[in-house]
Amino acid sequence: MQRNKQVAMGRKKFNMDPKKGIQFLIENDLLKNTSDDIAQFLYKGEGLNKTAIGDYLGERDDFNLEVLHAFVELHEFTDLNLVQALRQFLWSFRLPGEAQKIDRMMESFAQRYCKCNPGVFQSTDTCYILSFAIIMLNTSLHNPNVKDKPAVERFISMNRGINEGGDLPEDLLRNLYDSIKNEPFKIPEDDGNDLTHTFFNPDREGWLLKLGGGRVKTWKRRWFILTDNCLYYFEYTTDKEPRGIIPLENLSIKEVEDKKPNCFELFIPDNKDQVIKACKTEADGRVVEGNHTFYRISAPTTEEKDEWMNSIKAAISRDPFYEMLAARKKKVSSMKRH
Amino acid sequence: MGAFASLMKGMFGSKEMRILMVGLDAAGKTTVLYKLKLGEVVTTIPTIGFNVETVEYKNINFTVWDVGGQDKIRPLWRHYFQNTQAVVFVVDSNDRERIGEAKEELMRMLAEDELADAKLLVFANKQDLPNAMNAAEITDKLALHTLCNRNWYIQATCATTGDGIYEGLNWLAMTIKKKK
Repeated sequence: MQRNKQVAMGRKKFNMDPKKGIQFLIENDLLKNTSDDIAQFLYKGEGLNKTAIGDYLGERDDFNLEVLHAFVELHEFTDLNLVQALRQFLWSFRLPGEAQKIDRMMESFAQRYCKCNPGVFQSTDTCYILSFAIIMLNTSLHNPNVKDKPAVERFISMNRGINEGGDLPEDLLRNLYDSIKNEPFKIPEDDGNDLTHTFFNPDREGWLLKLGGGRVKTWKRRWFILTDNCLYYFEYTTDKEPRGIIPLENLSIKEVEDKKPNCFELFIPDNKDQVIKACKTEADGRVVEGNHTFYRISAPTTEEKDEWMNSIKAAISRDPFYEMLAARKKKVSSMKRH
Repeated sequence: MGAFASLMKGMFGSKEMRILMVGLDAAGKTTVLYKLKLGEVVTTIPTIGFNVETVEYKNINFTVWDVGGQDKIRPLWRHYFQNTQAVVFVVDSNDRERIGEAKEELMRMLAEDELADAKLLVFANKQDLPNAMNAAEITDKLALHTLCNRNWYIQATCATTGDGIYEGLNWLAMTIKKKK
């Protein structure tokens, strides 16, 4: 468990500063200091920001270059045409915008592509130069800062002589041009979340089911993060804003029976009807007060339920003033009723 | 654009200027590019590819491309060299080890036929670092005085703060206008 938490911390460090993240993971024996192991880690990419992966792979020093080669070797390009292969490759990290970095990455890519597809190109260099030309084309056609959009003729003349002094078939170039024109390279979606600053090193995080607070009560799967004496929940792990925040101050926690397994409940001791101080974001983006008098939560396993309950118990703080105030409010409202 | 509008633009409007930004890895090109955008709130759709920025300054529309890579891909860039009015060469003034390499890169670039008429603006970058060579020293190390028939200018910069960048652009703008 401690290990998982450290890995999660390493990922977040990586997203803020790739080199430091890798260093942290190596120092804590969570990652071997070999280019192959690091490449695997980046290729899996779990919880990693793709721009950060691109930054790491783009560095010029020898070790990063080794990692880049190992990373490219993990891709399978057999029987894909060049643009398909490039699309797949460029989805695995965010290509940096610096020409020298793009140059190294395309050279590495071309070596792998030619290894997977022998005979498609006369030489690796042809493949490398053409791949580079495709990135230039994507920039020219789709970057709004480029005013003069090249026609297919210009793309063809640009690639003159790149096939070991000869020309590539015009059909091939026309097809490439059309493919890029009709479908720009996609910006890879991030796996890493941007909450690295707010939710750095949380006490606990994971998927739980939460019973809704409205009149019709339904179970919703939410990503929970416990940190700073607060429970945050999100719709997706990558969401930037939480759907709800529950300050744990003066709450109690207990196990409860429900149709769902492994349930526990957060409630206000001695005051069943009072709404718990919390907030949530409505579908239209408005932040409103919570409407729960209790929060019922279901964990996937018994162990996870116990771990969550222990962590939450440890995070609950007591403010005697708050309790005094609550008691007085209760007294006032009961007096009014009589 | 209609005929009238384009005529107006030709008379009073902005000139288009294509610029290539060259320099070794980590010289600070990307930071320079981002600083050019300073003060302008533009939300452009991100694109996979090379860094390209446009900036309007003194009625001139600068489009700046990050260019570089090995010799093998140079034939590709040649198509972009045509109609390029200026080369901005960014050099890390603190990197004494690679200044020779930087000079070679610069000379290779200037040897391109298509760039024979291009102006050269050198940014002696990273002036904030204590060990940085000053503009005079960089001029010497890059052998700028040996350049014949080249309109060149060197500007000390610190791209992270933006110091010097607009002075450089100013020189470019003046030089372009003088020509017409």
